Amino acid sequence: MSKRVLALLTLITLSLLTSLLITILIGVKAPTSIRDLGKYYVANTIHEAASPEAVTAIVWDYRGLDTIYETTVLYMAIIGGLAISAISRKIQLKTRIGLTGIARTATRIIVLLIATIAFAIALHGHLTPGGGFPGGSAMAITAMLIVPVYTLQSLLERGVTSTRLVAARGLALTALGLIAILPVLRGLEAVTNQKFYPSHIAGMLISGSLWFYNFFEFLAVASGFAAVALYLSAPEELYREELRGVE
Amino acid sequence: MIVALIVFTIALLLSLMFVYLAVTEKDLLKAIVFSAGQSICYAILLHTMAAPDIVMTYLAVSVGLYSALLVFVVSKTERYEA
Repeated sequence: MSKRVLALLTLITLSLLTSLLITILIGVKAPTSIRDLGKYYVANTIHEAASPEAVTAIVWDYRGLDTIYETTVLYMAIIGGLAISAISRKIQLKTRIGLTGIARTATRIIVLLIATIAFAIALHGHLTPGGGFPGGSAMAITAMLIVPVYTLQSLLERGVTSTRLVAARGLALTALGLIAILPVLRGLEAVTNQKFYPSHIAGMLISGSLWFYNFFEFLAVASGFAAVALYLSAPEELYREELRGVE
Repeated sequence: MIVALIVFTIALLLSLMFVYLAVTEKDLLKAIVFSAGQSICYAILLHTMAAPDIVMTYLAVSVGLYSALLVFVVSKTERYEA
């Protein structure tokens, strides 16, 4: 038995023994009742935010301003990352060979499935668990799958460049900010939901601004992470050439 | 209830195993796979604790984005830790 396996077994045995000792000696028990704050949200989100999903209602309505600032922080982080890894010239790669036909066909099916699920997570965010951020990050995975299988060059030739993705992200974020600020024009607070936006459109529940927030957050997160993936997948030689050009 | 507790315990121990393997592994690509395995265990933990919203974000970020980003990063350096 190697040293690694022995250490692993010791670790698992020790943690099991510790948890057993804690359970027997201290007697930790999970709480059986719900706190009043939790009860309030479960009972009132459907009236106050017109959404049966308490988590989305809290994230984009009750503490919506927090989430707007969080989105801005993530935006600045991605801008910072892109500023470090930016290449001034147009990326032109020599190799165009991706993976084999089997991998390409499988990826085509998987990418379609992931994109469908990502859209479902984002657009149903006000009804079921999920929302803009999980949907957007799931969507960005499709870009990370396409780059190694179909090569970066094939994406660039179809017009998917990181500059355009960053521009899309900027537009989506502007729309998000506008939705947050629009109620102010009517003398309401910023990030107001039900007093300003309608809860239904054409008979469908959209929970006021929650659906729009989820949709634009989805676009912003998906394009932001996809831009990072495109920059990271550019080969190291390009960066070296760029540095030489600076010197 | 007892089934959930058993699943919880197994997922916790598995995640401990994956963390240990990821920390001690010299092959960085294998370490990324172990790290993704730990993330899957945590997703199961969160699901047994009835937090589906967090499971969605956690799976997309820590199994998908994080692993893919790290693979790109490793491709820019060496695969084996000296």
